[in-house]
Amino acid sequence: MRILVIEDNQTTRQYLQKALQEQGYEIDLADNGQDGLFLALEGDYQLIVLDRMLPKLDGLTVLSTLRNAGKQTPVLILSALDSVSERVKGLREGGDDYLIKPFALSELLVRIEILIQRKGTHSEKLTSVLHVADLKMDLLSHKVFRGSTEITLQPKEFKLLRYLMEHNGRVVSRSLLFEAVWDYQFDPQTNVIDVHMARLRKKVEFDGLTPLLETVRGVGYRMVEQG
Amino acid sequence: MVSPLYSKQYVASVTEWWSRVKTAHSVWRLTRLYTGLLLSVVTILLIVLYQLSIGQMNRQQGLQMANIIAQQNMLAEQLTTEQFLEQFKLQAQSSRQYILSYQIDQKLFGRLSEIPAGLTQCPSLSRFPIWLDQFDEIRLVSGCAQPMASGTLIVAVDDESLYELKAQFISASAVALLLAVLLGIITGLVFSMRVLKRINSFNQVALRVESGQLSARVAVSDHNDEYDHMALHINTMLNQLQHSFETISGITDAIAHDLRTPLSHLRQQIESEILTKQQLNHPSEQLESMLDKLDEILFTFSAMLELTRLQQQKESNSQHFKTVDLQQVIIDAVDLVEPLAEEKQQVVSIESTEPFSIQGDATLLFRAIYNLLENASKYAGNNAQISVHLTPRGFTVSDNGPGICDIEKDKVFQRLYRIEKSRGVAGFGLGLTLVKAIIQLHNGKIELLDNQPGLIVQVEFLN
Repeated sequence: MRILVIEDNQTTRQYLQKALQEQGYEIDLADNGQDGLFLALEGDYQLIVLDRMLPKLDGLTVLSTLRNAGKQTPVLILSALDSVSERVKGLREGGDDYLIKPFALSELLVRIEILIQRKGTHSEKLTSVLHVADLKMDLLSHKVFRGSTEITLQPKEFKLLRYLMEHNGRVVSRSLLFEAVWDYQFDPQTNVIDVHMARLRKKVEFDGLTPLLETVRGVGYRMVEQG
Repeated sequence: MVSPLYSKQYVASVTEWWSRVKTAHSVWRLTRLYTGLLLSVVTILLIVLYQLSIGQMNRQQGLQMANIIAQQNMLAEQLTTEQFLEQFKLQAQSSRQYILSYQIDQKLFGRLSEIPAGLTQCPSLSRFPIWLDQFDEIRLVSGCAQPMASGTLIVAVDDESLYELKAQFISASAVALLLAVLLGIITGLVFSMRVLKRINSFNQVALRVESGQLSARVAVSDHNDEYDHMALHINTMLNQLQHSFETISGITDAIAHDLRTPLSHLRQQIESEILTKQQLNHPSEQLESMLDKLDEILFTFSAMLELTRLQQQKESNSQHFKTVDLQQVIIDAVDLVEPLAEEKQQVVSIESTEPFSIQGDATLLFRAIYNLLENASKYAGNNAQISVHLTPRGFTVSDNGPGICDIEKDKVFQRLYRIEKSRGVAGFGLGLTLVKAIIQLHNGKIELLDNQPGLIVQVEFLN
């Protein structure tokens, strides 16, 4: 797994390098837009972490040039600009995700993993029924079963569970869950997602059944086959 | 022919114009004062004029009548009855203006053929008709009866022309007074229209400044009058205000922005330290609580920077506005807050629904509405009822909690302000400031009202 990090700030760059290498990724670094674009066009990367504001060539210009050249490598934009219009601009230019500085490392790692996974599983995602252990979700009839018992979920709970089941085995962060279910891009900064998860958990793990939803401390949640 | 639609519009515009003119109370006060003064001046003038003309004539007439009476009285006392009647007949025949008669022992001498009924005693006069030979017509005369030594003297004067003059004077006076009132009203209308027009331009600017457009200025005309002087003063004041506002927010933003980078790096260092400790199975709780505190600071800084961006660059912020279904945003926000409320046994309901869409930023609107709902849930207490109403111009969020006292209703919108009793609850005092900035960005108005008990947050969009 090779990741390209284009970031002009030295401290952040070194920090990203160290943290990503610890996760087992191979890292290439660029400290300006020009070098970054060159590497991105030439190399073969699973993911590019791109700073929004860069010397020599702006992050958005790097991104649009890359997409115009036909490169579909997933791009995660890092930015200190957290207004909604900036985020929209970044995603419109072909960015796959947008993370605002300062960010939690765990959040970045979760998002990187999901971006890489999304690319890999894109073609085989034509299923209409999701399975995790004895939990079954029918996407067409919107019905959910634990074993043979039907679970009645509210629309938002259904979306929440679906996102977790689709990312079975992977850690998803609270903000990712919020964005996926509510489709608004901001961090509610409260425990509101935890409260939603607690409610969902009560419905899915009733009567002392095997827990399927695991809380990952300081990061988010994970759907697991065995508790 | 006027079409009904046209006349309806016309009536509507006239009523609107009138309701605007009506509100110019100060001008109307001046108008009343002015009309009153005008009326009293005209009245005094008329009275003086009356006294100098008709009054004078009246008095002279009275004087002459008194003279005649005195003269005849004297003669009646000095002469014998025969002598007196002799001279009286002569006198009555020769007098042109005065009609004289004398009654003695039921016999009547002089011009009158009989004593008119209801004749009053001198000096009070009564009016009665007589036939005048020289004019060959009936005329109304004024006269009275004066008892004397041997009989009763009846004196009358032909004052019909004086009476006509009086009547004309009275109707002319009425017209003059009516004209004075009319003049007053017209002057008042013209003044209030002119003054209103100028005052309105001030009000509009004040409204725009209130809604956050600090760059609004009052237009200065080339009359160089007192309004222009006021406009110049207000504009200078606004310039200073805008300048200091920009300086202050510039400073706080610079602090927030400049501190954010080193704090971010600090965050990175603490985070990698925690990872290292966890890998070595060392306790990391202390570092984690440091990280939490740091996140609070960083969040406050971000919110402050965002707030300034929302408040300042209104134009550039509204560029990416799209049509937003407000009802859907409210449903989403209620969905999100519901389990939080459920934990406190609160009920959240959407009371009235009607499609309502505005040009805006869905995420920002969602944040604002969620923030209001979260606040309601946070402060309304257990078992509270929280409800959202869609109104024709916006929405309200109401609860039946303790509410906010009037003194604090404005303050809660200030940056970093927190009500004393809410200091125990987690928060930074930026939530409502951010909500207000978002609503203002969408050309809306936010107000806190009393729900008795509880709080109503009322949001109205102006277009």
